[in-house]
Amino acid sequence: MAATVSAGRILRELADLWVAAGQEQAGGGLGVLRACAMTLIVLAEETEDMEALGETIAALMPEYPARTILVRLGGTGAPALAERVYSQCWMPFGQRRQICCERIEITASEASLADLPSILPPLAAPDLPVLLWWRSARLLGTPGYRKLAAIADKAIVDSSGLEDEKVALPMLVEMAQGEAERAGHARPLLGDLSWTLLTRWREMLSGVFESRECQGRLPDISNVVVAFAGVRPPVFAWYMGAWVANALSDAGAHAYLTWQPRPDLTGRALHVELTGGDFRVSLERHDDRLSIEAGGLSHCTNLPQPTDYLLMREELGIVRRDPLFERTLATAARLAAASIT
Amino acid sequence: MPLENPFQDPLRFERRMPECAIVIFGASGDLTKRKLIPALYRLAYDRRLAAGFAVIGVSRTPLGDDGFREKMREAVRDFSEDTKFDEDVWNAFARGLFYVAGDAGDPALFVRLAQKLAEIERERQTGGNVLFYLSLQPSQYAAAALGLGGAGMGKGNGWRRLVVEKPFGRDLASARELSEQIHQVFDESAVYRIDHYLGKETVQNILAMRFGNGIFEPLWNRRYVNHVQITAAESIGVEGRGAYYQEAGALADMIQNHLLQVMATIAMEPTASFRAASVRDERSKLLRSIRPMAPDEIRVNSVPGQYGPARVGGEDLPGFHEEPGVDAQSRTDTYAAATFFVENWRWAGVPFYMRTGKRLPKRVTEIAIQFNPAPLTLFHGGAEGAPNLLILRIQPEEGISLKFLSKRPGAGVELRPVSMDFNYGSSFGERSPSAYETLLLDAIVGDATLYTRQDMVEASWAVVEPIQNAWRETAFDFPNYAAGTWGPAASDQMLARRGHAWRTP
Repeated sequence: MAATVSAGRILRELADLWVAAGQEQAGGGLGVLRACAMTLIVLAEETEDMEALGETIAALMPEYPARTILVRLGGTGAPALAERVYSQCWMPFGQRRQICCERIEITASEASLADLPSILPPLAAPDLPVLLWWRSARLLGTPGYRKLAAIADKAIVDSSGLEDEKVALPMLVEMAQGEAERAGHARPLLGDLSWTLLTRWREMLSGVFESRECQGRLPDISNVVVAFAGVRPPVFAWYMGAWVANALSDAGAHAYLTWQPRPDLTGRALHVELTGGDFRVSLERHDDRLSIEAGGLSHCTNLPQPTDYLLMREELGIVRRDPLFERTLATAARLAAASIT
Repeated sequence: MPLENPFQDPLRFERRMPECAIVIFGASGDLTKRKLIPALYRLAYDRRLAAGFAVIGVSRTPLGDDGFREKMREAVRDFSEDTKFDEDVWNAFARGLFYVAGDAGDPALFVRLAQKLAEIERERQTGGNVLFYLSLQPSQYAAAALGLGGAGMGKGNGWRRLVVEKPFGRDLASARELSEQIHQVFDESAVYRIDHYLGKETVQNILAMRFGNGIFEPLWNRRYVNHVQITAAESIGVEGRGAYYQEAGALADMIQNHLLQVMATIAMEPTASFRAASVRDERSKLLRSIRPMAPDEIRVNSVPGQYGPARVGGEDLPGFHEEPGVDAQSRTDTYAAATFFVENWRWAGVPFYMRTGKRLPKRVTEIAIQFNPAPLTLFHGGAEGAPNLLILRIQPEEGISLKFLSKRPGAGVELRPVSMDFNYGSSFGERSPSAYETLLLDAIVGDATLYTRQDMVEASWAVVEPIQNAWRETAFDFPNYAAGTWGPAASDQMLARRGHAWRTP
């Protein structure tokens, strides 16, 4: 592997791809339609399942066509970099013309991580947002992360790989604030897939309180239990508790909040229960469905298992401040710091 | 003042239905089976329905709640094209389905319905909010609205709204009369006249494109636009709707509502805000600015057509008169084309050509905006005359194309037309909600932006009625186009008189 890559060469190779596609069109074919709405930088460690990651990125493209720069990080030896360029095309159902997105793949040793902030900016599609999907939990919050996050409009991380929430949550708070300063934004642009994971749950719980009758019972709620799988509450369980606590506090209710391990839960499943007097709201997942019980009414809806594709699909659609996440993150960090677990 | 939900997250949560009951009159009909219930099930599947939700089907067919649930289960299985049937989601949804049998002309029905609604409001916690949906024969609209009023259902603990399907009257006078009857029970602000064309994503995207970007609006006027063509072509015939269709015709069925609404969206002035009242005010103003045609103009600026039999792709297609349920002497227009002019400073003198028809070569709905040519001819060659076109495709491949001239590579300067395409489906691969999902949700959350207001209905009839009357009094030589062709020759001549030609979509 060489020690350098040239942004100019990569851009020339990209241009050649489109010339070839144009020649196909001139030759009587319908050619291809180039689509690009953002630059997506994906940083993954070589030990990951690259095939699965490739499929996830490919699945995201029809909705978020992007120039994707996949950085495969591997090897601890001397600085080493390599690149290749190709396009990803698909034929939308019922249509005759292919849609194509550009893919750049850069293989870098860990020692070359520091070189990436100088290589990647010229490769970004002009005038479009740059999003960084940082998949390495190990390198989260390191100087390498910080430098790369600084060139992006938004960094998307996944804190579920971080084991100690008392370390993880303050680090996320710092990352959110730090990125804002470095990027010159007035507000932080940080996304955490552990928060994204909760959207449909939160949506269903919120739906319960669209009812005037249930809204009227909000001040009665005195207990909130967030049950989780495993021994320690994962970051997303802290987020859930913090979000509920903030909402109840806004409604003038002050509930006692408990995080409980539950042996029958597995993976990233939660059970959330709000109670007070004779009023009870409960949310629980069974396979692909979410069951909700609220004030005597029960309801069931489709809730697909959270995959990277589904989570990223939501996160890529938000390239602006998420004040609710910022507030929840701050509350979760405060609650975790004050807890005696 | 309603309380605020402290759990709301507008940035991430999808729009959801508040608690309510939906009463569907005409619950045994095709619209309920094919569109309404599948759309509501889809909303349930997508977590958009509140737990306090109920549907009450009303129709003459004797059925109980369970019988109705069973029928609707089949409907969801058969007509939910892109939604998985999930047994548990269905069971939860079906618990909110109820049925009341009776005739909309019978006052006793409304007494029973009022009792059922009160029961459901208690049990299902619907908050007293009710959306009445009239999927009935148009002749029964007034009776249903008055029946609801007579039984005291026009008002209640929550909001009450009435959704009415087209046609909104047969002419201006009957449209006014219908509104007056409905207004005896429901205020205009509670009346939602549905035009499913306005619920289509691409029609809504016209507003986004026009008013979300700065580059189009400066060109959007008589100085730069040469003319506009609006085409809504169907390849099918009347498909078993012969009896209904021969009473309506293409002019009343398509132009009076869908296409004039599309034209209003294309040509309206920018709105001060995206609130329903502002958008509807501008649409209405535009419709009122369309010049109604004088009798001599009708002869040259409108063309009716009726398809005759033809052999297309190895298949013998019947003419309109041979279709089941159609009177062999019917004078109904299965094709209608017209040239409209908008009398305002922006559009004065710009023709808006509109055509719609059945048994045309393909199913396509699009708007083509043709711009004026460059003021000076610098280049010579075959492509010189190719106009700049902005094409807004509504169906089937929703998107926007801009056609312009470019130099062909190589020695010399030879131009060729090229197309820059934006494809809605490929740039936003997400499943688009069906028009009925969008419109039902809008009505339930009280957003009337995409619904037609009474003044808009009247303005449309004021434009269409003179043409309708003139056509009735004229003996046309029908059939005047063969199935599988782009319509009567007179339609081409209508454009040719101004030096224009229909595009072939």
